[in-house]
Amino acid sequence: MAAANDAGGPRTAEAIVHAPADLVAGVGEKSHSVLVDVGSIFWFIANTIGETLDRMRRGRVPFRAASFFRHSERAGVESVPLVAMVSFFLGLTMALLTGYQLERFGTERLVPGLVAIAFTRELGPLLTGIMLAARIGASFTAELGTMQVSEEVEAIEAMGIGPLRFLVAPRMLALFALMPALSVISSAAAIFASALISRAYFNIAFVYFQDLVLQSLLIRDIVTGVLKSFMFGALIGAIACYRGLTVRGGAAGVGNATTSSVVTVITTVIGFDTLFNIVYIVFFP
Amino acid sequence: MTQPINHVVELRDVSLAYPGKKVLDGVSLAVHPLDRLVIMGQSGSGKSTILRLILGILQPSAGEIFFKQFEISRLSRTKLQQVRARIGMVYQYSALLSSRNVGDNVALPLEELTRKTTGEIDQLVDEKLALVGMSDSKNLMPSELSGGMRKRVSLARALVMDPELILFDEPSAGLDPVISSVIDELIISLTQHSKVTSIIVTHEMDSAFRIGTRMAMLYHGKVIAQATPGEFKKIDHPVVQQFLSGSTKGPILEGTKDAVTTK
Repeated sequence: MAAANDAGGPRTAEAIVHAPADLVAGVGEKSHSVLVDVGSIFWFIANTIGETLDRMRRGRVPFRAASFFRHSERAGVESVPLVAMVSFFLGLTMALLTGYQLERFGTERLVPGLVAIAFTRELGPLLTGIMLAARIGASFTAELGTMQVSEEVEAIEAMGIGPLRFLVAPRMLALFALMPALSVISSAAAIFASALISRAYFNIAFVYFQDLVLQSLLIRDIVTGVLKSFMFGALIGAIACYRGLTVRGGAAGVGNATTSSVVTVITTVIGFDTLFNIVYIVFFP
Repeated sequence: MTQPINHVVELRDVSLAYPGKKVLDGVSLAVHPLDRLVIMGQSGSGKSTILRLILGILQPSAGEIFFKQFEISRLSRTKLQQVRARIGMVYQYSALLSSRNVGDNVALPLEELTRKTTGEIDQLVDEKLALVGMSDSKNLMPSELSGGMRKRVSLARALVMDPELILFDEPSAGLDPVISSVIDELIISLTQHSKVTSIIVTHEMDSAFRIGTRMAMLYHGKVIAQATPGEFKKIDHPVVQQFLSGSTKGPILEGTKDAVTTK
C-alpha cells in the first residue's frame, strides 16, 4: 500500500491485492528490528559488565577515577540547573491546577501530599530520565558515534584495550550513580514550588505544608522512586552508548544515531516506568 | 592447527565474504621476522581488511590466521587483548583520540595495559616522541597538528608498547611527496632500530618500493604475486605490470565502471 502511494500514481490492481500482505510484512520487519535491538542492548550491557569484571579480576581498576568524575560532572552536576528549573515549574503548575479543583470541595490541603507523592514516586524519576535522555544521551551517542566513524574506537580496540570497559563503563556508572541524586533534586524542587503556591493561594503555612507532606509520604514512595532512578540511569547510559558505538555511515550516520538514541531512550524510560509500576503494584500491593 | 615455525604472521587460505560480496578468496601469506611486507592492490581490494583480520577485529569466513603461535580467531577475549597489545597499528587517518593531547595519546596504552608509574610512563612517552621528532608537540591537541605530524604521533603510539609487529594502513596517503618520503624513512629507520616486523598496506608505488623488503599484490581477493622488490618488477603478470605502470589499458579496469569513464 505504501509503495503504491509513494509512487504517486494510481494504485494498480496488484498493489491493492498485495496491500494487506505488505502491511503485515512491514509490521513484521519493524517488530523484528525492535527485537534485534532489544537483544543487542542486553548483550551489550552484559558484555560491558563482563569486560569490566574481567579487568577487576586481574587486580586492575576498570577505568580511571578521573574519567568517572568527568562524566559524573557532565551528566550529573551540570544537569542540576535544568532538572531543578523544569521540576520547579512543573511543581508550580501542578499545585496551582490541582489546588483550584480541590478548592471547590474544600480539600486544597491535599495539594502538598499530592505533589509530594506524584514527584517522589513517579514524576521526579520520569522527568529526570526524559531530560537526561535529551541532554546526556544525545551527547554520549554523538561523542561515541564520532569516535566510531573516525576509527578512534577501533584504534582503542586494536591496542588491546576493551572499548566497552574504557568508554562505556564510566559513562554508564556515572548515570547510574547520579540519576537518583538528580531525581531527588527534581522532587525537592517541585515540592518547594508547591509550598510557594500553597502559601500564596491556598493559605497553607510552610510549617503546616511540611506536616502535610510528611504525613502523606511513605518510605515506600521514596524507595520506589530511587529504585526506578537507578534503573533509568543504567538504561539511558547503555542505550546512548550502544547507539553511539553502532554508528555506520559517517556524519549522517552520527546524526541519525543521535535522533534514534533520544527517541529510543525516552520510549524505553516511559515503557520501563509503566512495567515497573505494574510489577510493583501486582507483587507488592 | 599446527604451529607455524619462524613466522611472525601467517595467513592460511583465508577468505572473507559479506552477503553478495567476496572480499578475500583464499589468501595465504607468511611474514618472517624483521620483514617489511608491503601489500599492494587497488582501492577496495581488501588490503586493509587483512590488517583487521590479523588484529582479530574482523573474523575470517574461512581459513586460519596466526600471530606467532596464536591462532587469532580462536583466542578468548582476554587472550586476544593480550596479543593485540603486542601489535602496533598506524591508521590511515592516524585515529588519535581527539579529546586527549599528544602526550596522553601516546601514554594511553601504557596507562591502561601496564603497571608502570607516572614517571616511567612520562619517560617512555618522551623517548618515543623524540624518536619520531615530535618532542615539542607533547602538549598539543591532535586538531592542532598537520597530517604528517599526526602520523608521526600515531607511529609513536604504536611503538610505545615495544611491539613485535607493526601494521601500517596507507602510511603515505594524503601527504605531500616530501612528507611522504620522510614518513617512509621513519618507518624504515624505526623498524630497523626497534627490530620489529611490519606489514604495510599501500597503493603508492614509490613508497612501496622504498619501504618493502617483500611485496605482495592482491587482486580480486587473491594474492597474485609475491616477491622481493627487485623480482617484483620483473613479474610477467598483466595485472602486476598494469599496476606498476599505472596504465589505463589492461585487465584491471576491464568490465568495471571505471573503465567506462576512461574511454
